[in-house]
Amino acid sequence: MGFLDSLLGRTKAKPIAAQDRLFALTTAYISLETEHNITTRGQAAILFQPVDTADFDNIVTEMEELVRGTGEETGTTLTVETDSFGYRWMILHDPDVDDLVVGINAVSDALAVGGYGDRTLAAVFAFKDARDRQLYLIYNYKRGTWYPFVPAGGEQARDAERELQLKAILEPELPVEAELERWLPMWGIPI
Amino acid sequence: MAQSKVALRADTGLQARMLITVFLLGALYVVLIAALFASGASGVTIFVVAAGLFLFQLFASDKIALATMGVQKVSPQEAPELHAMIERLCVQADLPKPTIGIVNTTMPNAFAMGRSQKSATVVATTGILELLSPAELEGVMAHELAHVRHRDVMIMTIASFFASIAALILQFGFFFGGNSDDEDGPSTMVLILVSLVVYVVSFVLMQALSRYREFAADRGAAAITGRPSALSSALLKISGTMDRLPMTDLRAHSEMNAFYIIPANTKKSLLNLFSTHPPVEQRIAQLSRLEAQLQGAR
Repeated sequence: MGFLDSLLGRTKAKPIAAQDRLFALTTAYISLETEHNITTRGQAAILFQPVDTADFDNIVTEMEELVRGTGEETGTTLTVETDSFGYRWMILHDPDVDDLVVGINAVSDALAVGGYGDRTLAAVFAFKDARDRQLYLIYNYKRGTWYPFVPAGGEQARDAERELQLKAILEPELPVEAELERWLPMWGIPI
Repeated sequence: MAQSKVALRADTGLQARMLITVFLLGALYVVLIAALFASGASGVTIFVVAAGLFLFQLFASDKIALATMGVQKVSPQEAPELHAMIERLCVQADLPKPTIGIVNTTMPNAFAMGRSQKSATVVATTGILELLSPAELEGVMAHELAHVRHRDVMIMTIASFFASIAALILQFGFFFGGNSDDEDGPSTMVLILVSLVVYVVSFVLMQALSRYREFAADRGAAAITGRPSALSSALLKISGTMDRLPMTDLRAHSEMNAFYIIPANTKKSLLNLFSTHPPVEQRIAQLSRLEAQLQGAR
Protein backbone atom coordinates (compact mmCIF):
# COMPACT_ATOMS: atom_id res chain seq x y z
CA MET A 1 0.00 0.00 0.00
CA GLY A 2 1.86 3.02 -1.25
CA PHE A 3 1.66 6.66 -0.27
CA LEU A 4 -0.44 7.48 -3.31
CA ASP A 5 -2.90 4.69 -2.56
CA SER A 6 -3.37 6.15 0.92
CA LEU A 7 -3.74 9.67 -0.37
CA LEU A 8 -6.28 8.66 -2.98
CA GLY A 9 -8.02 6.12 -0.79
CA ARG A 10 -7.56 3.14 -3.05
CA THR A 11 -8.15 -0.37 -1.76
CA LYS A 12 -7.71 -3.47 -3.79
CA ALA A 13 -8.16 -6.91 -2.35
CA LYS A 14 -4.65 -8.32 -2.45
CA PRO A 15 -3.86 -10.81 -5.19
CA ILE A 16 -2.52 -14.16 -4.09
CA ALA A 17 1.19 -14.83 -3.63
CA ALA A 18 3.37 -17.04 -5.82
CA GLN A 19 2.30 -20.68 -5.70
CA ASP A 20 5.76 -22.16 -4.97
CA ARG A 21 5.29 -21.04 -1.38
CA LEU A 22 2.29 -23.35 -1.13
CA PHE A 23 4.25 -26.22 -2.66
CA ALA A 24 6.97 -25.81 -0.04
CA LEU A 25 4.76 -27.97 2.17
CA THR A 26 5.52 -31.09 0.11
CA THR A 27 9.21 -31.04 1.04
CA ALA A 28 8.55 -29.77 4.55
CA TYR A 29 6.19 -32.68 5.17
CA ILE A 30 8.99 -35.21 4.64
CA SER A 31 10.88 -33.95 7.68
CA LEU A 32 7.69 -33.37 9.67
CA GLU A 33 6.80 -37.01 9.19
CA THR A 34 10.23 -38.61 9.58
CA GLU A 35 11.79 -36.39 12.25
CA HIS A 36 8.89 -35.04 14.27
CA ASN A 37 6.21 -37.75 13.97
CA ILE A 38 3.69 -35.26 12.64
CA THR A 39 1.43 -36.97 10.14
CA THR A 40 -1.40 -35.89 7.91
CA ARG A 41 -5.00 -36.56 8.82
CA GLY A 42 -5.67 -36.93 5.12
CA GLN A 43 -7.59 -33.69 4.78
CA ALA A 44 -6.97 -30.19 3.57
CA ALA A 45 -9.35 -27.33 2.84
CA ILE A 46 -9.30 -24.10 0.93
CA LEU A 47 -11.35 -21.22 2.24
CA PHE A 48 -12.70 -18.47 0.05
CA GLN A 49 -15.35 -15.81 0.09
CA PRO A 50 -17.96 -16.44 -2.60
CA VAL A 51 -19.18 -13.61 -4.80
CA ASP A 52 -22.89 -13.67 -5.50
CA THR A 53 -22.78 -13.57 -9.28
CA ALA A 54 -23.72 -16.12 -11.92
CA ASP A 55 -20.21 -15.84 -13.35
CA PHE A 56 -18.64 -16.83 -10.04
CA ASP A 57 -21.06 -19.73 -9.55
CA ASN A 58 -20.14 -21.07 -12.98
CA ILE A 59 -16.44 -20.92 -12.20
CA VAL A 60 -16.93 -22.73 -8.91
CA THR A 61 -19.03 -25.43 -10.59
CA GLU A 62 -16.41 -25.92 -13.31
CA MET A 63 -13.70 -26.03 -10.68
CA GLU A 64 -15.51 -28.67 -8.63
CA GLU A 65 -15.92 -30.81 -11.75
CA LEU A 66 -12.23 -30.36 -12.55
CA VAL A 67 -11.08 -31.40 -9.08
CA ARG A 68 -13.49 -34.37 -9.03
CA GLY A 69 -12.24 -35.35 -12.50
CA THR A 70 -8.55 -35.33 -11.60
CA GLY A 71 -9.48 -36.92 -8.27
CA GLU A 72 -10.49 -40.08 -10.07
CA GLU A 73 -6.82 -40.68 -10.91
CA THR A 74 -5.28 -39.60 -7.62
CA GLY A 75 -8.04 -40.82 -5.32
CA THR A 76 -8.78 -37.34 -3.99
CA THR A 77 -12.39 -36.72 -3.02
CA LEU A 78 -14.10 -33.37 -2.51
CA THR A 79 -16.75 -32.04 -0.14
CA VAL A 80 -18.05 -28.49 0.12
CA GLU A 81 -19.29 -26.61 3.18
CA THR A 82 -20.47 -23.06 3.84
CA ASP A 83 -19.76 -21.74 7.31
CA SER A 84 -21.69 -19.27 9.46
CA PHE A 85 -19.69 -16.35 8.02
CA GLY A 86 -20.80 -17.24 4.51
CA TYR A 87 -17.33 -18.43 3.50
CA ARG A 88 -16.99 -21.54 1.38
CA TRP A 89 -14.77 -24.45 2.44
CA MET A 90 -13.66 -26.84 -0.30
CA ILE A 91 -12.44 -29.87 1.57
CA LEU A 92 -10.16 -32.41 -0.09
CA HIS A 93 -9.71 -35.89 1.29
CA ASP A 94 -6.58 -37.83 0.33
CA PRO A 95 -4.05 -39.73 2.43
CA ASP A 96 -1.19 -38.30 0.37
CA VAL A 97 -0.03 -34.76 1.24
CA ASP A 98 1.41 -34.19 -2.23
CA ASP A 99 -1.98 -34.88 -3.80
CA LEU A 100 -3.66 -32.55 -1.30
CA VAL A 101 -1.27 -29.73 -2.17
CA VAL A 102 -1.80 -30.29 -5.87
CA GLY A 103 -5.58 -30.37 -5.38
CA ILE A 104 -5.64 -27.20 -3.25
CA ASN A 105 -3.48 -25.47 -5.83
CA ALA A 106 -5.85 -26.58 -8.60
CA VAL A 107 -8.75 -24.91 -6.77
CA SER A 108 -6.95 -21.60 -6.14
CA ASP A 109 -5.58 -21.67 -9.67
CA ALA A 110 -9.06 -22.14 -11.15
CA LEU A 111 -10.32 -19.17 -9.11
CA ALA A 112 -7.36 -17.06 -10.24
CA VAL A 113 -7.81 -17.98 -13.91
CA GLY A 114 -11.49 -17.10 -13.57
CA GLY A 115 -10.46 -13.68 -12.26
CA TYR A 116 -11.39 -14.26 -8.62
CA GLY A 117 -7.95 -15.01 -7.18
CA ASP A 118 -8.30 -12.24 -4.64
CA ARG A 119 -11.32 -13.96 -3.04
CA THR A 120 -9.07 -16.79 -1.82
CA LEU A 121 -8.37 -16.44 1.88
CA ALA A 122 -6.47 -19.41 3.21
CA ALA A 123 -5.66 -23.09 2.87
CA VAL A 124 -5.72 -25.33 5.92
CA PHE A 125 -3.94 -28.68 6.21
CA ALA A 126 -4.88 -31.03 9.05
CA PHE A 127 -2.18 -32.97 10.89
CA LYS A 128 -1.76 -34.89 14.11
CA ASP A 129 1.28 -35.55 16.24
CA ALA A 130 2.53 -38.74 17.88
CA ARG A 131 0.17 -38.23 20.84
CA ASP A 132 -2.77 -37.80 18.47
CA ARG A 133 -3.19 -34.08 19.17
CA GLN A 134 -4.75 -32.16 16.31
CA LEU A 135 -2.78 -29.41 14.69
CA TYR A 136 -3.22 -27.33 11.59
CA LEU A 137 -0.92 -25.58 9.19
CA ILE A 138 -2.60 -22.54 7.70
CA TYR A 139 -1.42 -20.95 4.47
CA ASN A 140 -2.29 -17.26 4.04
CA TYR A 141 -2.74 -16.74 0.32
CA LYS A 142 -2.38 -12.96 0.50
CA ARG A 143 0.98 -13.02 2.21
CA GLY A 144 2.26 -16.34 0.92
CA THR A 145 3.13 -17.41 4.46
CA TRP A 146 2.41 -20.37 6.71
CA TYR A 147 1.62 -20.55 10.39
CA PRO A 148 0.69 -23.35 12.77
CA PHE A 149 -2.63 -23.35 14.62
CA VAL A 150 -3.14 -25.72 17.55
CA PRO A 151 -6.55 -25.50 19.22
CA ALA A 152 -6.30 -26.42 22.89
CA GLY A 153 -9.13 -28.07 24.76
CA GLY A 154 -11.90 -25.68 25.74
CA GLU A 155 -13.62 -22.90 23.92
CA GLN A 156 -11.45 -20.60 21.84
CA ALA A 157 -8.19 -21.63 23.45
CA ARG A 158 -5.00 -22.22 21.54
CA ASP A 159 -1.81 -23.92 22.58
CA ALA A 160 0.69 -21.12 22.06
CA GLU A 161 3.63 -23.15 23.34
CA ARG A 162 3.01 -25.93 20.85
CA GLU A 163 2.56 -23.41 18.05
CA LEU A 164 5.90 -21.77 18.83
CA GLN A 165 7.58 -25.19 18.91
CA LEU A 166 6.15 -25.83 15.47
CA LYS A 167 7.42 -22.45 14.32
CA ALA A 168 10.95 -23.52 15.21
CA ILE A 169 10.47 -26.84 13.45
CA LEU A 170 8.93 -25.33 10.32
CA GLU A 171 11.11 -22.30 9.85
CA PRO A 172 13.95 -24.00 7.93
CA GLU A 173 11.46 -25.58 5.52
CA LEU A 174 8.52 -23.21 5.07
CA PRO A 175 8.04 -19.45 4.72
CA VAL A 176 6.61 -18.98 8.23
CA GLU A 177 4.68 -15.76 8.97
CA ALA A 178 7.11 -13.57 10.93
CA GLU A 179 4.51 -11.30 12.58
CA LEU A 180 2.87 -13.31 15.33
CA GLU A 181 -0.17 -11.03 15.39
CA ARG A 182 -0.97 -12.28 11.90
CA TRP A 183 -1.35 -15.83 13.20
CA LEU A 184 -5.10 -15.48 13.20
CA PRO A 185 -6.96 -18.39 14.70
CA MET A 186 -9.78 -20.15 12.90
CA TRP A 187 -12.38 -21.64 15.16
CA GLY A 188 -14.57 -24.43 13.99
CA ILE A 189 -12.38 -25.63 11.14
CA PRO A 190 -14.50 -28.33 9.52
CA ILE A 191 -11.56 -30.77 9.07
CA MET B 1 -2.62 -14.19 -14.04
CA ALA B 2 -6.03 -13.08 -15.19
CA GLN B 3 -7.19 -9.59 -14.39
CA SER B 4 -9.10 -9.59 -11.14
CA LYS B 5 -12.83 -9.05 -11.58
CA VAL B 6 -13.48 -7.88 -8.09
CA ALA B 7 -10.79 -5.20 -8.36
CA LEU B 8 -13.40 -2.70 -9.38
CA ARG B 9 -12.65 -0.04 -11.92
CA ALA B 10 -10.91 2.97 -10.42
CA ASP B 11 -13.06 6.04 -10.06
CA THR B 12 -10.76 8.57 -11.67
CA GLY B 13 -13.25 11.39 -11.16
CA LEU B 14 -13.31 10.79 -7.43
CA GLN B 15 -9.52 10.61 -7.27
CA ALA B 16 -9.18 13.80 -9.28
CA ARG B 17 -11.57 15.66 -6.97
CA MET B 18 -9.64 14.37 -3.98
CA LEU B 19 -6.30 15.49 -5.42
CA ILE B 20 -7.66 18.94 -6.28
CA THR B 21 -9.04 19.32 -2.75
CA VAL B 22 -5.71 18.31 -1.20
CA PHE B 23 -3.89 20.66 -3.55
CA LEU B 24 -6.16 23.59 -2.66
CA LEU B 25 -5.72 22.87 1.03
CA GLY B 26 -1.94 22.79 0.57
CA ALA B 27 -1.94 26.07 -1.35
CA LEU B 28 -4.08 27.67 1.32
CA TYR B 29 -1.73 26.55 4.04
CA VAL B 30 1.33 27.87 2.21
CA VAL B 31 -0.34 31.30 2.32
CA LEU B 32 -0.90 30.91 6.05
CA ILE B 33 2.71 29.87 6.74
CA ALA B 34 3.99 32.81 4.72
CA ALA B 35 1.76 35.15 6.74
CA LEU B 36 2.90 33.54 10.01
CA PHE B 37 6.58 34.02 9.30
CA ALA B 38 6.07 37.48 7.85
CA SER B 39 4.45 38.56 11.11
CA GLY B 40 7.69 37.82 13.00
CA ALA B 41 8.37 36.21 16.35
CA SER B 42 4.79 35.86 17.50
CA GLY B 43 3.92 34.00 14.30
CA VAL B 44 6.74 31.52 14.87
CA THR B 45 5.59 31.01 18.45
CA ILE B 46 2.09 30.19 17.26
CA PHE B 47 3.54 27.72 14.78
CA VAL B 48 5.50 25.93 17.52
CA VAL B 49 2.50 25.80 19.86
CA ALA B 50 0.35 24.41 17.06
CA ALA B 51 2.96 21.78 16.20
CA GLY B 52 2.88 20.65 19.83
CA LEU B 53 -0.91 20.47 19.73
CA PHE B 54 -0.69 18.52 16.50
CA LEU B 55 1.59 15.88 18.02
CA PHE B 56 -0.65 15.66 21.05
CA GLN B 57 -3.68 15.25 18.81
CA LEU B 58 -1.95 12.57 16.77
CA PHE B 59 -0.89 10.49 19.76
CA ALA B 60 -3.59 11.09 22.34
CA SER B 61 -6.81 12.15 20.66
CA ASP B 62 -7.91 8.62 19.83
CA LYS B 63 -7.45 7.50 23.42
CA ILE B 64 -9.38 10.51 24.72
CA ALA B 65 -12.16 10.01 22.19
CA LEU B 66 -12.40 6.30 22.95
CA ALA B 67 -12.62 7.06 26.67
CA THR B 68 -15.21 9.83 26.37
CA MET B 69 -17.44 7.74 24.14
CA GLY B 70 -17.40 4.88 26.59
CA VAL B 71 -15.73 2.38 24.30
CA GLN B 72 -15.07 -0.98 25.93
CA LYS B 73 -12.42 -3.20 24.42
CA VAL B 74 -13.72 -6.68 23.81
CA SER B 75 -11.62 -9.82 23.79
CA PRO B 76 -12.12 -12.70 21.34
CA GLN B 77 -13.82 -14.62 24.17
CA GLU B 78 -16.33 -11.83 24.77
CA ALA B 79 -17.24 -11.26 21.12
CA PRO B 80 -16.11 -14.34 19.18
CA GLU B 81 -18.18 -13.69 16.04
CA LEU B 82 -17.15 -10.06 15.70
CA HIS B 83 -13.50 -10.96 16.18
CA ALA B 84 -13.61 -13.81 13.69
CA MET B 85 -15.40 -11.64 11.11
CA ILE B 86 -12.86 -8.84 11.42
CA GLU B 87 -9.95 -11.28 11.34
CA ARG B 88 -11.08 -12.64 8.02
CA LEU B 89 -11.62 -9.17 6.60
CA CYS B 90 -8.11 -8.26 7.76
CA VAL B 91 -6.65 -11.24 5.93
CA GLN B 92 -8.58 -10.21 2.85
CA ALA B 93 -7.33 -6.60 3.09
CA ASP B 94 -3.86 -7.63 4.33
CA LEU B 95 -4.13 -5.48 7.45
CA PRO B 96 -2.89 -6.20 10.96
CA LYS B 97 -5.81 -6.98 13.26
CA PRO B 98 -7.05 -3.82 15.00
CA THR B 99 -8.23 -3.50 18.58
CA ILE B 100 -11.97 -4.12 18.68
CA GLY B 101 -14.31 -2.11 20.87
CA ILE B 102 -18.01 -1.92 21.58
CA VAL B 103 -20.11 1.03 22.77
CA ASN B 104 -23.26 0.23 24.67
CA THR B 105 -25.89 2.39 22.95
CA THR B 106 -28.92 1.78 20.80
CA MET B 107 -27.64 4.24 18.17
CA PRO B 108 -26.51 2.08 15.26
CA ASN B 109 -23.02 3.28 14.44
CA ALA B 110 -19.44 2.18 13.81
CA PHE B 111 -16.16 4.02 13.52
CA ALA B 112 -12.42 3.55 13.25
CA MET B 113 -9.69 5.40 15.10
CA GLY B 114 -5.92 5.42 15.44
CA ARG B 115 -3.09 7.17 13.67
CA SER B 116 -1.60 4.09 12.03
CA GLN B 117 -2.67 0.71 10.75
CA LYS B 118 -0.97 -0.97 13.70
CA SER B 119 -2.58 1.15 16.40
CA ALA B 120 -6.06 1.20 14.89
CA THR B 121 -9.24 0.57 16.85
CA VAL B 122 -12.49 -0.42 15.19
CA VAL B 123 -15.64 0.20 17.19
CA ALA B 124 -19.25 -0.93 16.77
CA THR B 125 -22.22 0.00 18.92
CA THR B 126 -24.47 -2.65 20.41
CA GLY B 127 -27.23 -1.01 18.37
CA ILE B 128 -25.56 -1.82 15.06
CA LEU B 129 -24.68 -5.36 16.16
CA GLU B 130 -28.35 -6.02 16.87
CA LEU B 131 -29.71 -4.21 13.83
CA LEU B 132 -27.66 -5.67 11.00
CA SER B 133 -27.43 -9.14 9.49
CA PRO B 134 -23.94 -10.72 9.45
CA ALA B 135 -23.35 -9.82 5.78
CA GLU B 136 -24.41 -6.21 6.34
CA LEU B 137 -22.24 -5.93 9.44
CA GLU B 138 -19.36 -7.35 7.43
CA GLY B 139 -19.86 -4.56 4.87
CA VAL B 140 -19.82 -1.90 7.60
CA MET B 141 -16.72 -3.36 9.25
CA ALA B 142 -14.99 -3.57 5.86
CA HIS B 143 -15.83 0.13 5.38
CA GLU B 144 -14.15 0.95 8.70
CA LEU B 145 -11.15 -1.23 7.82
CA ALA B 146 -10.89 0.62 4.50
CA HIS B 147 -10.63 3.85 6.53
CA VAL B 148 -7.80 2.25 8.49
CA ARG B 149 -6.15 1.04 5.34
CA HIS B 150 -6.40 4.48 3.70
CA ARG B 151 -4.92 6.03 6.86
CA ASP B 152 -7.84 8.43 6.99
CA VAL B 153 -7.30 9.48 10.60
CA MET B 154 -3.72 10.50 9.81
CA ILE B 155 -4.75 12.28 6.62
CA MET B 156 -7.60 14.20 8.22
CA THR B 157 -5.41 15.14 11.20
CA ILE B 158 -2.72 16.51 8.91
CA ALA B 159 -5.35 18.25 6.82
CA SER B 160 -6.76 19.92 9.91
CA PHE B 161 -3.36 20.99 11.30
CA PHE B 162 -3.20 24.39 9.64
CA ALA B 163 -6.89 24.96 10.10
CA SER B 164 -6.29 24.64 13.82
CA ILE B 165 -3.38 27.09 13.59
CA ALA B 166 -5.74 29.53 11.90
CA ALA B 167 -8.29 28.94 14.65
CA LEU B 168 -5.61 29.57 17.29
CA ILE B 169 -4.67 32.87 15.68
CA LEU B 170 -8.28 33.91 15.49
CA GLN B 171 -8.66 33.24 19.21
CA PHE B 172 -5.37 34.64 20.45
CA GLY B 173 -4.14 36.77 17.58
CA PHE B 174 -4.95 40.12 19.20
CA PHE B 175 -3.19 39.02 22.35
CA PHE B 176 -0.03 38.09 20.46
CA GLY B 177 -0.07 41.26 18.39
CA GLY B 178 -0.88 43.52 21.31
CA ASN B 179 2.61 44.00 22.74
CA SER B 180 4.10 46.15 19.94
CA ASP B 181 1.27 47.80 18.09
CA ASP B 182 3.34 50.53 16.42
CA GLU B 183 5.49 48.28 14.15
CA ASP B 184 3.79 44.90 14.05
CA GLY B 185 0.30 46.33 14.10
CA PRO B 186 -0.55 46.19 10.40
CA SER B 187 1.04 42.78 9.82
CA THR B 188 -0.84 41.33 12.77
CA MET B 189 -4.09 42.58 11.30
CA VAL B 190 -3.13 41.00 7.98
CA LEU B 191 -2.29 37.75 9.75
CA ILE B 192 -5.67 37.68 11.46
CA LEU B 193 -7.46 38.39 8.19
CA VAL B 194 -5.49 35.69 6.40
CA SER B 195 -6.28 33.27 9.22
CA LEU B 196 -9.97 34.04 8.96
CA VAL B 197 -9.98 33.31 5.24
CA VAL B 198 -7.86 30.17 5.70
CA TYR B 199 -10.16 28.93 8.44
CA VAL B 200 -13.36 29.38 6.49
CA VAL B 201 -12.07 28.04 3.19
CA SER B 202 -10.24 25.09 4.75
CA PHE B 203 -13.38 24.18 6.66
CA VAL B 204 -15.33 23.76 3.43
CA LEU B 205 -12.43 21.96 1.75
CA MET B 206 -11.99 19.55 4.62
CA GLN B 207 -15.65 18.66 4.66
CA ALA B 208 -15.36 17.92 0.95
CA LEU B 209 -12.25 15.83 1.49
CA SER B 210 -14.01 13.90 4.26
CA ARG B 211 -16.92 13.11 1.94
CA TYR B 212 -14.52 11.86 -0.76
CA ARG B 213 -12.81 9.64 1.84
CA GLU B 214 -16.23 8.17 2.69
CA PHE B 215 -16.89 7.29 -0.94
CA ALA B 216 -13.41 5.79 -1.17
CA ALA B 217 -14.00 3.72 1.97
CA ASP B 218 -17.28 2.42 0.51
CA ARG B 219 -15.37 1.36 -2.60
CA GLY B 220 -12.72 -0.22 -0.41
CA ALA B 221 -15.38 -2.16 1.49
CA ALA B 222 -16.80 -3.44 -1.79
CA ALA B 223 -13.33 -4.56 -2.89
CA ILE B 224 -12.69 -6.34 0.42
CA THR B 225 -16.01 -8.18 0.70
CA GLY B 226 -17.06 -8.40 -2.93
CA ARG B 227 -20.59 -7.57 -1.75
CA PRO B 228 -21.39 -3.90 -2.36
CA SER B 229 -25.15 -4.46 -2.01
CA ALA B 230 -24.75 -5.80 1.52
CA LEU B 231 -23.24 -2.46 2.51
CA SER B 232 -26.07 -0.61 0.71
CA SER B 233 -28.58 -2.59 2.65
CA ALA B 234 -26.75 -1.78 5.89
CA LEU B 235 -26.73 1.94 5.05
CA LEU B 236 -30.46 1.85 4.36
CA LYS B 237 -31.17 0.13 7.64
CA ILE B 238 -28.93 2.48 9.63
CA SER B 239 -30.30 5.65 8.05
CA GLY B 240 -33.84 4.41 8.51
CA THR B 241 -33.26 3.90 12.21
CA MET B 242 -31.46 7.20 12.55
CA ASP B 243 -34.50 8.98 11.14
CA ARG B 244 -36.87 7.06 13.35
CA LEU B 245 -35.15 7.64 16.66
CA PRO B 246 -33.67 11.10 16.54
CA MET B 247 -34.85 12.06 20.02
CA THR B 248 -33.30 9.33 22.08
CA ASP B 249 -29.74 10.51 21.86
CA LEU B 250 -30.21 14.13 20.98
CA ARG B 251 -28.29 15.56 23.92
CA ALA B 252 -25.37 13.19 23.58
CA HIS B 253 -25.47 13.76 19.88
CA SER B 254 -25.55 17.54 19.75
CA GLU B 255 -21.90 17.77 20.87
CA MET B 256 -20.58 15.64 18.04
CA ASN B 257 -22.70 17.37 15.46
CA ALA B 258 -21.95 20.88 16.69
CA PHE B 259 -20.24 21.71 13.43
CA TYR B 260 -23.42 21.25 11.44
CA ILE B 261 -23.91 24.98 11.18
CA ILE B 262 -26.71 24.70 8.64
CA PRO B 263 -29.91 23.23 10.06
CA ALA B 264 -30.98 19.96 8.56
CA ASN B 265 -34.05 21.33 6.78
CA THR B 266 -32.35 23.89 4.55
CA LYS B 267 -31.62 23.38 0.89
CA LYS B 268 -29.90 20.10 0.11
CA SER B 269 -27.01 21.56 -1.90
CA LEU B 270 -26.02 23.85 0.94
CA LEU B 271 -26.19 21.04 3.45
CA ASN B 272 -23.97 19.00 1.17
CA LEU B 273 -21.24 21.58 1.18
CA PHE B 274 -21.04 21.50 4.95
CA SER B 275 -21.34 17.86 5.89
CA THR B 276 -18.68 15.29 6.55
CA HIS B 277 -20.66 12.37 5.16
CA PRO B 278 -22.20 12.23 1.71
CA PRO B 279 -25.94 11.59 1.61
CA VAL B 280 -26.89 7.94 1.86
CA GLU B 281 -28.59 8.07 -1.56
CA GLN B 282 -25.32 9.03 -3.22
CA ARG B 283 -23.39 6.34 -1.41
CA ILE B 284 -25.96 3.74 -2.40
CA ALA B 285 -25.87 4.98 -6.00
CA GLN B 286 -22.12 4.43 -6.06
CA LEU B 287 -22.44 0.98 -4.50
CA SER B 288 -25.04 -0.10 -7.03
CA ARG B 289 -22.71 0.98 -9.84
CA LEU B 290 -20.07 -1.27 -8.27
CA GLU B 291 -22.57 -4.12 -8.00
CA ALA B 292 -23.40 -3.67 -11.68
CA GLN B 293 -19.69 -3.95 -12.50
CA LEU B 294 -19.48 -7.17 -10.51
CA GLN B 295 -22.60 -8.72 -11.99
CA GLY B 296 -21.52 -7.76 -15.47
CA ALA B 297 -18.12 -9.41 -15.03
CA ARG B 298 -17.04 -11.78 -17.81
